[in-house]
Amino acid sequence: MTVLGGIGFTAPWLLLALLALPILWIILRAVPPAPIRRRFPGVALLLGLSDDESVSDRTPWWLLLLRMLAVAALILGLAGPVLNPSQDNAQGDGPLLIVLDGSWAGATRWTQQSQAIEAQLTRASRADRTVGFMDLSRPETPVFQSADVWRSRLPGFAPAPWQPNADRTARAMGALADAERFDTLWFSDGLDYDGRGGLLAALQKRGAVEVYQTGANVLAMTPATYVDGAIALTVRRAAPGPGRDVTLQAQGRDPAGNAALLATAMATFEDGALSARTELALPAEMRARVTRFDIQGQRSAGATTLTDDGLRRREVALIAARENREGLELLSPLHYIEQALEPAADLIKGSLSDVLPANPDVIVLADVATLSDAEAEGLGDWIDAGGMLVRFAGPRVAASDISRIDEDPMMPVRLRSGGRSVGGAMSWGEPKSLAPFSERSPFFGLRIPEDVRVTAQVMAQPDPTLAERVIAELTDGTPLVTRKPREQGQIVLFHVTATAEWSSLPLSGLFVQMMERLAASSATATPEADQLEGTVWTPERVMDGFGTLSDAGNLPGVAGPDLIDAPAGPDMRPGIYASGDRRLARNVVTSDSDLTPVSWPAGIPVKGFAVAPEQPIAGWLLSLAILALVADVIASLALSGRLLGQRTTAAAAMLALLGGIAGQPGPAVAQDSAEALALEATAEVVLAHVLTGNDKVDEVARAGLIGLTDTLYFRTSVEPATPMGVDLEADELAFFPILYWPITPDQPRPSDEAYARLNDYLRSGGLILFDTRDADIAGFGASSPNGRKLQDLAAPLDIPPLEPLPADHVLTRTFYLLQDFPGRHSSRDVWVEAAPPDAEQVEGMPFRNLNDGVTPVVIGGNDWAAAWAVTSNGAPMLPVGRGFTGERQRELAFRFGVNLVMHVLTGNYKSDQVHVPALLDRLGQ
Amino acid sequence: MSTPQTLRARAEEQAASLPPLLARAEHLAGAVLLGDHGRRRAGMGDDFWQYRPAQMGDSRRMIDHRRSARGDTEFVREREWQIAQSVMLWVDQGASMRFSSDPNVPQKGDRARLLGLALSILLVRGGERVGLTGTTLPPRRGTAQILRLAEMLSEDGPDDYQPPEHRAMIPSARAVFISDFMGDTSAVKTALTKAADRGVRGVMLHVLDPSEEAFPFRGRTIFESVGGSLRHETLKANDLKARYLDRLAARKDELRHLCSVTGWHYGVHHTDASAQTALLWLYRAMDIGRGVAA
Repeated sequence: MTVLGGIGFTAPWLLLALLALPILWIILRAVPPAPIRRRFPGVALLLGLSDDESVSDRTPWWLLLLRMLAVAALILGLAGPVLNPSQDNAQGDGPLLIVLDGSWAGATRWTQQSQAIEAQLTRASRADRTVGFMDLSRPETPVFQSADVWRSRLPGFAPAPWQPNADRTARAMGALADAERFDTLWFSDGLDYDGRGGLLAALQKRGAVEVYQTGANVLAMTPATYVDGAIALTVRRAAPGPGRDVTLQAQGRDPAGNAALLATAMATFEDGALSARTELALPAEMRARVTRFDIQGQRSAGATTLTDDGLRRREVALIAARENREGLELLSPLHYIEQALEPAADLIKGSLSDVLPANPDVIVLADVATLSDAEAEGLGDWIDAGGMLVRFAGPRVAASDISRIDEDPMMPVRLRSGGRSVGGAMSWGEPKSLAPFSERSPFFGLRIPEDVRVTAQVMAQPDPTLAERVIAELTDGTPLVTRKPREQGQIVLFHVTATAEWSSLPLSGLFVQMMERLAASSATATPEADQLEGTVWTPERVMDGFGTLSDAGNLPGVAGPDLIDAPAGPDMRPGIYASGDRRLARNVVTSDSDLTPVSWPAGIPVKGFAVAPEQPIAGWLLSLAILALVADVIASLALSGRLLGQRTTAAAAMLALLGGIAGQPGPAVAQDSAEALALEATAEVVLAHVLTGNDKVDEVARAGLIGLTDTLYFRTSVEPATPMGVDLEADELAFFPILYWPITPDQPRPSDEAYARLNDYLRSGGLILFDTRDADIAGFGASSPNGRKLQDLAAPLDIPPLEPLPADHVLTRTFYLLQDFPGRHSSRDVWVEAAPPDAEQVEGMPFRNLNDGVTPVVIGGNDWAAAWAVTSNGAPMLPVGRGFTGERQRELAFRFGVNLVMHVLTGNYKSDQVHVPALLDRLGQ
Repeated sequence: MSTPQTLRARAEEQAASLPPLLARAEHLAGAVLLGDHGRRRAGMGDDFWQYRPAQMGDSRRMIDHRRSARGDTEFVREREWQIAQSVMLWVDQGASMRFSSDPNVPQKGDRARLLGLALSILLVRGGERVGLTGTTLPPRRGTAQILRLAEMLSEDGPDDYQPPEHRAMIPSARAVFISDFMGDTSAVKTALTKAADRGVRGVMLHVLDPSEEAFPFRGRTIFESVGGSLRHETLKANDLKARYLDRLAARKDELRHLCSVTGWHYGVHHTDASAQTALLWLYRAMDIGRGVAA
């Protein structure tokens, strides 16, 4: 290689071609640009006109320069230029042994180390030396072969998540025993270990030893511990140094399950200190999602610490039948459970289908009677896999038929109809207190307060298995809490409500203790070695030297004590180990790990990694030549007038523009139909009807809702947009305040997912108006095909107890004062959610103080849509009754519709009007 | 594009919105032929014009006895004098007309044919006789003539620049010349002089492409005529612009002067302008002479 001005050339004779450049200059400059041919009839007028000046005959100087540059770059590139040509051939020419520590401590600077090794390999290759490799973390007999072979294998080397030790260095020395003389390059990670001195002496006997080592300090992190509500994190460094800040990162999954950075914390090394400590306070829910902590900017197994059960808390999902949004907080069915569990567990809320994928440890169902098939199936799978279902009774459970005849798979016992009420005004006897817990009960040992009384409960049906399922009972022997195991999991039923309605149990401290015993929270401490005696742990995921987790594959299990005590090595890989449902993390660096910086004897030369590697620049020069030639093409076109002011350019520009546009996803395409529906349905209030699949019925329902919409628009401040038909299987329901559902005998049964969404809709305050449309021929009930279909359709829905619409229901006065609710037929059978049993009429008040909120269903058969239906020009679509009476009936039908929509939109507002006198009185008016 | 059927359909479209054009009829006995075209004066014809007292020299046969029987005077019934005008069309079919600078602009020849035929339709509806100059298609009346005109106009000429056809001009008829007049002006001069000699007056429509007016060319260019017979090379086309425009203006002036001398009307039409405008102008140009004379 010839070196000229710091750049080496592999083929220097090619540079002579540069002499030819001036000749090229002369040849190139004489060529004029090519003309364009144009058809032009006006040429007759041009004949005889001559050009004023004869310019542009020659190529402009800058174009020539560009071409010269291209040719020069081509010549230089072909001459094989090399930047930073290495001229240090001082070492001998015998075999060369490259020794690597290959431990996690060098992982962070592995790339630099690989580059340094590659530079050495290149030199060795040029000097024609054979090279052998020795990785001290995985010692094997070195094979001396061509440096080029090693260079291709270099990317395959990776650091091990452990360190060399006496045993491994001894094996390395054994492997080198019968090798002859060689020189050694030792790439050290900067940490000392047993047996290093002995190996160094052995290597020095064979030839010169040169050490390459980075000057950076090695950082490591010890396992995180949970102390006093915060996570304690400790960072250590090998050598004392000046004060510095280290950023620690908590890595984990976001709620969607994707890897995410959850939090960061700053740890500060004091000047000269070897360790730094910091605390990280995280919400319990986020803490449970942390999978590992690592140090920012450090990519090694030692700077990573994995978390295990020690940081986890139990997750409890709370689900109530129907959120009573307008009720007082203390009336919320979940209030007392939340209070009891909050300090000890992580609570999740949401619908059942939402929380099941989160796989909570415990699910609490407060007064939820009916589950859709899909929900029940998911819940069953979850229980079988070890989940614990805790159910509370309540009015809904008491009113439902659940577990009445056959034992429901989701209930521990069969229930008697209606439950019982003791100690009330209308019943004999005193409220009952609790009997002491039996020894079999998980509550055994809890002290029972004197003042806990039970006034109402659901009763268990006597069964042969009942006795063994009771875990708490009243003084008269009736079961209060029952439990049944199911596969891996269990189901527990409290026969009272979770609120103070039926008993004072939720008010007592006993309730808290019972909940803790059931859904026990445990922040487990790391066990000692002797606690794990005799257990075998299988690796789930193991860490490599960079701190990256990967699947353990079929690695063998390890004994429990080894997991705590044994040093890391090929047989004891760091990672996550599992036994049963417990998981333990084995980390590289523990609190008592040894981090000693290495010190080399004075005679050994120690170098850094910073070797400027040789860089061939032929590729760059050839690229430059091509670029210059492309520029030349463009410039030549521009000069000859073909680039600008011509249609082809416009077309080319258009193509480029089109390409640019096509490259971006069109925003119009991205918007899918679901979003369009959401926009349409939420921009205004929209009434909706369920598409039954029967064209005639759907048409009437749509026309009816249009008629009702018009009426609302003209008469009230509710101004709905055009009604929509809703496909239960596909469309989101949450946008619609009210769904009109005409029943036809032949409509398809919705799928389980659709039922899950309908139940969500009902629980979140939606209203469905079921219309059997047959009040003219049948009374309400199962006596008509439509009635039977309605029962079939509504069975999986979570519908509360119903009653015929009482005369003082808020529907009778939300806008118009009504007592009849006719549609096209005028049956009086309209059913709504039953008033609570304790609703009483107060003296002097016209109305009872009835239930808060909106009735989730209104069921009738009056074919209201037919009475509301209008044609496109606003005339009634179908006849109602006869003559004026019929028109009156239609008017009343509209009024019912107005009242219904008002009821949905304003809730119990009109009902609250009964409080006005009391409020005025309190205000002193 | 220029098949007879489509050309006629489009021409009918253009002609539909104008009232039938009454061409000016110069009174020259030799060329007068009867038609349903009233001359607002007594003469030979079918329609009643007036009764006038019989004069000396009227033959007895001419006395209208029904009218005369009501009084003592003898009346002669006169009829309105009806004649038809002959209009001769020349539309340039040279190769230079088959040019358009932009796909959105029609070719000059296409536009010229359209205008020529639209005018013919108007004239035929007005009862005139329309034909081509030269001997190929003498003026005739009727719808069938339009079909023949459409067919003849659809033909393409072989040469780059065709001189106006001036043979067999019917004396005292009217003529319409539509062309880009890029060829030799002496042929035009000959044609016009000859026409003036025979008392033929008419309209000359100069059809130009927008690029021929703007000359938007740059750089080294070889200009070729459409037929390929002429070529001109330049190194800097934009330098020629001013001189080209001067020459074009001079040519227009020359043509205008020629027209004013021979009593013709001269108009310029650009193919990117609407054909209706040009037809209206043609209509007015054919009409003005009559209005003045009448």
